[in-house]
Parts: sequence; C-alpha cells; structure tokens
Amino acid sequence: MNQKSNYSLTIAWLYPDLMNTYADRGNIIVLQKRCQWRGVNAIIQKISISEDENLLKKADLIFMGGAQDTQQEIVNQDLFEKKGVSLKKRIEEGTPGLYICGAYQFLGKYYITADGKKLPGLEIFPAYTKNSGKDRLIGNIIIQENQTQNTLVGFENHGGRTYLDDPALAFAKVVKGFGNNSEDRTEGILYKNSIGSYLHGPILPKNPTLADWLIQKALEEKYKEEINLKKLDDELEMKARNAIANL
Amino acid sequence: MIPALTLGKSSSYLIKKLLKRSASTWPGHLVLKMDPNFTKKILNKNSNLKIILIAGTNGKTTTTKAISHVLRSQGKRIFTNEAGANLLNGIVSSLINHTDHFGAINYDCAIFEVDENSLPIVISHITPSSIILLNLFRDQLDRYGEVNSISKKWGEALKKLPKDTKLITNGDDPQLRFLGENSSLHSFYFGIDEKYMTKKRLANDSDSLYCPHCNSLLTFSKIAYSHQGMFKCPKCGFEHRPTATFPNLKNPLIGTFNFYNMNAAALLLQKEFGISEESIQKTLSTFSPAFGRQEKIEYKGKNIFLLLSKNPTGFNQSIQAVLSQNIKPYLLLSLNDRIPDGRDISWIWDVDFEELESASNITITGDRAYDMGLRIKYADIDEKKYTIEPNLLQAIEKAISMLPMSETLYVLPTYSSMLEIRKILKGQSIL
Repeated sequence: MNQKSNYSLTIAWLYPDLMNTYADRGNIIVLQKRCQWRGVNAIIQKISISEDENLLKKADLIFMGGAQDTQQEIVNQDLFEKKGVSLKKRIEEGTPGLYICGAYQFLGKYYITADGKKLPGLEIFPAYTKNSGKDRLIGNIIIQENQTQNTLVGFENHGGRTYLDDPALAFAKVVKGFGNNSEDRTEGILYKNSIGSYLHGPILPKNPTLADWLIQKALEEKYKEEINLKKLDDELEMKARNAIANL
Repeated sequence: MIPALTLGKSSSYLIKKLLKRSASTWPGHLVLKMDPNFTKKILNKNSNLKIILIAGTNGKTTTTKAISHVLRSQGKRIFTNEAGANLLNGIVSSLINHTDHFGAINYDCAIFEVDENSLPIVISHITPSSIILLNLFRDQLDRYGEVNSISKKWGEALKKLPKDTKLITNGDDPQLRFLGENSSLHSFYFGIDEKYMTKKRLANDSDSLYCPHCNSLLTFSKIAYSHQGMFKCPKCGFEHRPTATFPNLKNPLIGTFNFYNMNAAALLLQKEFGISEESIQKTLSTFSPAFGRQEKIEYKGKNIFLLLSKNPTGFNQSIQAVLSQNIKPYLLLSLNDRIPDGRDISWIWDVDFEELESASNITITGDRAYDMGLRIKYADIDEKKYTIEPNLLQAIEKAISMLPMSETLYVLPTYSSMLEIRKILKGQSIL
C-alpha cells in the first residue's frame, strides 16, 4: 500500500488532552495512516496548554476536537491569552484545518450560554452559537457537501446551535439529522481552507474523501504545486458508511 | 400495610407466572406511579435493613457480587438488584420482590448497583449506610453526558445524605478524591498497590487530567490506567494520598481493574461490617465473577473466555488482561449500537487496538462490524489476521473453526452482544 514520495506534512493537533472527549483522535489516526500509506511522512505535533504557540507556524494542517465544559474553560483561557492570534493568522492564510464541535464553536464570534452569558469567540468564523438550554441534538447524521456534492455520515451530539452570518458559507446541507441548529438545514462552515463541523463518529474514518481533501490541500499549500493523491482501497470504509447511510 | 405494596407484589407475581419474565423493573415502575413515597415507607418499617449503594462506570456488578459472596459466607442474609436493572425502578422492584406480604424485609443487607445518572434520584428515595463510588470514565456520551457533569451531580447528591454515611471511593482518581475530600461524609479511599501502576504514559481514554481544584495540568508519577494513579497538582498542592491497597489480597480475576474492584469490596467489608482482612482474603479466593465478566465457557469442546467490554477504559483493560494471559491471542470482537450499548460507536477510536498487533487471529462481528473492522484496519493490523463477519452465529463458528484445540478464544463484546453470544454458547437465556 505504501508509495514512495518525498512529501511530508506536519499535522498540528490542538489540545489533544483537553479537546478530545468524543474520540476525535480517530481523525488524527486516519490522517496519519492515509498519509503513511501513500509514502507521505506525517508528523503529529501535539499542541496543548504547555506548548509554545510558535509551533503553530510549522503546521501544514490543523485539527482540534470537542470537549466538556470544564475542559473548554481551560482551553478558552489559553486561546485568548496565547494561541488565538497565531491560530487566526494561520486560518486566514489558508492553512487547511478541521475543527469539530467545541472547536468549531470557539472559532465563531461569540457563544451564548444556557443562562444567557455571552462568551467572546476568536472571531475567525462569521458565525455565532447559542445554547438555549433546550435538548441536546443527538443522533446519526447524513449531510451533503455543498462544494463537492459528496455525501458524508457521522454522529452529532451538541447542545449549542450555530448560526452562520451567510448560509452560503455552510459546509454542507443536512440530509438526515440536525446540523448547525436544526432549523435551516445547514451543517458546518467552510471558511478559506478550514472546515468547522458538528460531525463526530469520528468524521474522517467513514468519510475518506474528506480526509483526502484535507491532505491534498495541505500538500498543495505547502509545496505550491498540483497534487494528485494515489487512490487507496476504501471498500471497508464504504461498507461501514452503509451502516448509517442506509438508515 | 402499604397499599402500593399489594400492587407491586401482585404485578410481580403476574409477570413471573404469566409472562415467564423476571420482574426486575415493572413492579417498581407501577408502585412509584401509585405511591411516590413507597420506598421511604417500606424502609421506615424495616429500619434494621442495611443498604449499600455502588455506582461507577465499570465494575459495579463484579464488586456487588464480591461483597455478597463474602457476606453470605459469613451467614448474612443478602439481596441485590438484578444485573442491569440499576435504575430507580429496578431497585424498587428488587425491594418489592424481597418484601413479604406484610411489608417485612427479612434480610440483613441489600446491595444495589446504581446507574451513574440515577444516583441522585436513588439517594432521594433511599438512605444508604455506605456508598461506593468506584470510578468515573467516559461512557455512552450520548446517554450519560460527560464525566465532569456526572461528578458534579454526584457531589450535589451526596450533600443530601446524613453526615454519618460512609463514602468509599477511589483515591487514585483525581476527580473522585476531590469529591471525597469536599464531602462532609465519612470518606475512605481505596487504591491499588504501586507495583501494579506500570503504565508509562497516559492513554487517550483519560478524562480527569486537570486539577479539579484549580484547573492546572496534573503530573502523574505513577499510572495504573486511564487517569488513575499517583497525581499531584504543581500549582495548588492537591495530591494523591495513601489509600487502602490490601497488598496481601490475591486477585481472583485477571486484569488490573479487578484489583480496584476487589479493594473497594474489601474496604467496604472492613468499614461497614468490621470483617478482618484475613477473613476477606480467605473468602475472596473462592470468588467467581458474574455472567459475561471473565466467564469461561466450553463450546464444541473448545475454550471460550468472555470479557464484557463496553467503553474505552473497559476495552483497554480487557485487551491488557487478554495479553497478560496470551501475547498471541485468538479474539472475537463484537460491536453493537443498540440502546443498552449506546447508539454512538465513536468511542472505539479511543481504544488502543494497536496493542493487538501480536494477535494470532481476530474475528469481527456485531451490528457495527464494519466500523470495528475499520478501526482495526487503521490500527495497521495485518489484513491477513482479521476477518469481518457481521452475522454473529457465523462469526462464532468461523472463530471457533480457526481456533486450535489448545488455545482459548477471547470474546470481547459490548453489552447487548454479550447477552446474545452467551445465549448461543450456553443455549439458554441469561436470567
């Protein structure tokens, strides 16, 4: 399965010990293996509270997952005091990234808690999130990507409802499930080369086209050349998708 | 006479006689509808009955069974709720089933395992003499929510108990030690001997890694597994302190997690019943686990070992327990996503399946067999070593046919799958 190449990617994993409640490390495993199986050397750079924000400068691809309230408070402080500025810069420059659930919410303009408190966000994504104290949105979800029309599957579990300033920025439309807010049938956001989404599952194992898009974009941004990734055998990925897609 | 009791007893009788089902939840449900104060009334009439509650993510059933085993051998009259019937209705059903028609409970002690989320409501109905909080790991996030929110609920619930209630909890778990130290109950801490804390690094299934007091990153000088170990907060000084480790107690089961279960049982038996360590040691050596938890079954002349594995920490512990028995094991992994298992199967990505690299053979089955297969594929396990067969019956036959006579097939299933597998292997239903 391995293919020789001289390419390498540094994948930054933000707050792996904090923003990792919903098994989102699966995304890192998938990115790493799908690089490795193509001979692309993938280096995973964990960046948590104790790491320096300058490490973000070396990242070719960025990933951050979701977490519990207490953990999010700790991360919130670190983002505002230290890493937020560097992160914003990288995203604005077009560094590809995947931001799931809590991370997606952090990157918006603000977050209104269930008791009405308005917490500032990093103001990267033109979106805001509101937790009205209503039921959490939980269940299997099927979406269709707006740019590629690819169908993606996952599992969502979130209390906050996210509203985009411009629905045209949505990453996908909801085929089955709740998505951003259970009202406008949008799911996630695609901003420059960064994706915010509520899909756990984790998202990448059963959606290899998305994993490959991130890898390809990261290589193209880094090497400034057109990249055609070698096709991998995704038969098992497709079979696993069917468990959800056939719902 | 309590009127609701008559309803409870007769519904229980009807369920057993007419439906041939175990009356493990319905009687309690009906009785509480008719009389929300039923539990208090019946327990006031039986104030000599000692009640022990056991909550935690993993090990409830095994710990309950270990405590009952020792107490019964001492001649005590004990009853417990049926395994799995650990919500309020299951506990009340158990009370009804063990009360006579005159409202008398002729037992010395009731030991109830309690669902994590149900602990607050159970405490509002029942005042235990002791409560064991075993551990707190991520589990079925779609149903239970996150570890911190459960621990907060537990803390609030404990405040409602009388101050002389004993709290037996895990001193190696930062969150639970914090809970114990901040509660006004009589807190006692169990742990395990340092020599079993051999993990080199914190695994991905760990949740409580930051100081529950000041939110700083904890440092661990020793790690048992998950977030259990010798921790210290470099900032505020919150830290691990000595625990009851019972170094002479032999573990009758396999796996580090069972040291915790046995030590929790031993500490409870000492503090609540004053039983000597020597006596506990002697009786526990003859302990055999509950169904599906490290159960040995012979099927078609071959050896099968069932290890219920239903959340990341439980699964990681099962894998380590299997590898401690055989470094090149034959395995059957079964993943379901039914209500008792949790509908979200994301958690398999928190399990370190990479550790199974040395396995001889892995058969993969269950409702979500392909998801499990995908996880194994991305663990980079040689594709010649694993087979995916979604049909459970055929998967069992395949796994058995590939198993050499001298070997053991280790079966690691989620809860609903464990029940099905047991039915097939034993040709009978479980209860």
